[in-house]
Amino acid sequence: MAPAQPSHHVTRALTRTLGNVTVGVALLALWGVLTLVGVVVEQGKDAATYFASYPAPIARAIMRLNFDDIYHSGWYLASVGLVLASMTVATFTKVIPRRLPPRRAVTIDAIPLHAHVTVPGNEASVRERVERFFSTRGWKIVRHDIEGTQWSFADRHNWARIGVLVNHTAILVIAAGTILYWARGFAGETAILTGQTAQIPQTHALIRLDRFAYTIAPVLTKGGMVYQPIDYVSHVTVVGRNGLPTPMVVRVNHPIDVDGTLVYQASYGFGMRVTVTHDGRPVPALSRHTLVEGDALSIPGTTRSVVYERFVPTVDRQTHMPSSDPRVTNPAVILSLQEDGTPLGAVLDPLRSPVDLGNGWRIVPQRAVLYSGFQYRYDPGVPLVAAGAVLLLIGLVISFYFLPARLHVRVDPAGKDASTVGLAATTVKGYDIFETQFQELVDELRKHVD
Amino acid sequence: MHAMALDAVLMVLALSSYAVGALALVVYFFSREGWLRNFGATLAVTGCAAQFAQLGARYAETHIWPLLNLYGSLSLFSAMSVAIFIAFAFRYRLWFAGGFVLALAAIFLAYGVTWNEGVMPAVPSLQSYWAKIHVPLVVSSYAAFLVSFVFSILYLVKYYANRHYARRSTTFAAAAAGGGAALLTSFAVDTPAATLSPALRDTPALAAAAEHGDTVAEWFSTLPSLAQLDVLVYRAVAVGLPLLTLGVITGAAWAHEAWGAYWQWDPKETAALASWILYAAYMHLHTRHAWRGLRCSWWSVIGFASIIFCYLGVNIWISGLHSYKM
Repeated sequence: MAPAQPSHHVTRALTRTLGNVTVGVALLALWGVLTLVGVVVEQGKDAATYFASYPAPIARAIMRLNFDDIYHSGWYLASVGLVLASMTVATFTKVIPRRLPPRRAVTIDAIPLHAHVTVPGNEASVRERVERFFSTRGWKIVRHDIEGTQWSFADRHNWARIGVLVNHTAILVIAAGTILYWARGFAGETAILTGQTAQIPQTHALIRLDRFAYTIAPVLTKGGMVYQPIDYVSHVTVVGRNGLPTPMVVRVNHPIDVDGTLVYQASYGFGMRVTVTHDGRPVPALSRHTLVEGDALSIPGTTRSVVYERFVPTVDRQTHMPSSDPRVTNPAVILSLQEDGTPLGAVLDPLRSPVDLGNGWRIVPQRAVLYSGFQYRYDPGVPLVAAGAVLLLIGLVISFYFLPARLHVRVDPAGKDASTVGLAATTVKGYDIFETQFQELVDELRKHVD
Repeated sequence: MHAMALDAVLMVLALSSYAVGALALVVYFFSREGWLRNFGATLAVTGCAAQFAQLGARYAETHIWPLLNLYGSLSLFSAMSVAIFIAFAFRYRLWFAGGFVLALAAIFLAYGVTWNEGVMPAVPSLQSYWAKIHVPLVVSSYAAFLVSFVFSILYLVKYYANRHYARRSTTFAAAAAGGGAALLTSFAVDTPAATLSPALRDTPALAAAAEHGDTVAEWFSTLPSLAQLDVLVYRAVAVGLPLLTLGVITGAAWAHEAWGAYWQWDPKETAALASWILYAAYMHLHTRHAWRGLRCSWWSVIGFASIIFCYLGVNIWISGLHSYKM
């Protein structure tokens, strides 16, 4: 016989390692720890934020190890990959082969859960009574002659041995759904001003915001009266693949489906119509747009730009500072001025009040225009993820709540017209978990066959 | 006003029932006086019923789902911890552990009261039928893990007591080295302290000490065996892990409807995932004979710490979609 190739040894060693439960658990623990790192270390911030929040060595470590975006880092993906690999190998090398253990003769007394019951009657009749006792209680009986000795094997919930297989399959199905999204799905967001139309770039579907409405309710709290938005609704007209304009309503928790892409109500805000003047004369080119928060207007002939930072629905009339009241009662805007990208300052400017930008330039915020913030997402993997989730739940219920157990039964003569029934029980979860039930079974058996 | 007064009365009833019941059951833990068990059990049931009545009364009055803030969810957490424990206690006669569960429930409920900000209507993203499904499931899973945590602590106490006795005396150490004994026949633990039960079969040093008349060791004999305590921990995790799984699944479904993605690596989602991973690892470890018992009990303690971090740490200290952080 030819000697095994070195690569064969490596493959076997790798298979044995990955299929080992302890290794699998260690990989799970690693995955868990990396997941927790992402909870503790705020994700997606810039380096300055980490250096401000942590001692320098830790901040440096965070940046170097990609812990600032850990869930997309090589470490994380590798840990998930290894867990999946370990799970797959264990499924094929251990779970599937061991799903139905062979029926073998055992030394009854060597098994911790065992009992001997002496019963009147000859061997054959006692065996029959014992088997009938177990089969009427839902145990599946199989007889085997092993080296001249008759054994009866009573199995219960054998089907539940697939619980682990179901769980592992579920995880793989979920992983497949996730990969499908990475490969074929897309997501994005857009803010649409009232009356404006936006396009979903990947599908060319058009969405026009006809009307946006929101409701603000007063709430009496321990700290006093507060106002909070309790509902916001976008009335839109959608043009999809069929080319037909279709009116639809989008609200939070109620997305619309546009040719398979789901569009969600994510937020709302206030755009701003402004008038820009130079030496007292309106500049139409700069005054025709509606700005949304973050938009900047460059001032011609200068290196300055003015940024519409945000809309303030209510300015406190006493402190002249922005209040947290979301109702539009005394509105203003916050504008910031930049020179060559360097911030020069910001101003809280009531509507229709001019702001001097220097060199004869002025900007006047005229009126607010509501916009609706949408998120859209196309995820072809959702059905797979959902199916995997349901499968996982089923697998957990099977694994936890159905205990596959096997009783090894042999009947031996015990003097004249009596027999001894030897019983030993094994389960997939050890002996302790079945102890009470086994004792109850034995007690019942004693009463029944006597 | 009348309804809010009822709300407060029920809350006070629940808190005081838990506090007095905890005291009664802790004393029962040491004395094994039957009337203390009955008294404590009655108070546990009363407190639990008062809590559910309080949540119901709040909902009936305000028509706002009461679990949308930390006050409401901590109320449910306490109530479900006690309810799940009561189910275990009746099934396996475990009232001796009730004092610790009730004490923890009282602590969490009292802490929850500090988060009562009055009646606030739900923000748009919380106005969903999923709030009635996802939140109770997740909170119930946390409650089951609290019960498994208590059983784990009892395991560890008995284990280290046995080790202490083994180290303390050569006689007990010899007994410990001698190993196993008779088969345990039941979970029954409401036996007089004077009776030595087979519950000491896996704590031979304690068994030897009890035979020598050591009172503390005799008292330990009234606790289930280490093997049975380990099974109890497993059974409590068997309630918690499927509930947590279903909670995460329903949370993902809700996120899919509300925010456009079933998973956004929000701190709460990832903390829940980390806890799920830990308990999934527990499930795997428990299949290994060498890992059952001591190691699994410690793992369960760590798992519960992750649950508390997920539930309270993330909500209070970390910003995110689930945050109460100001």
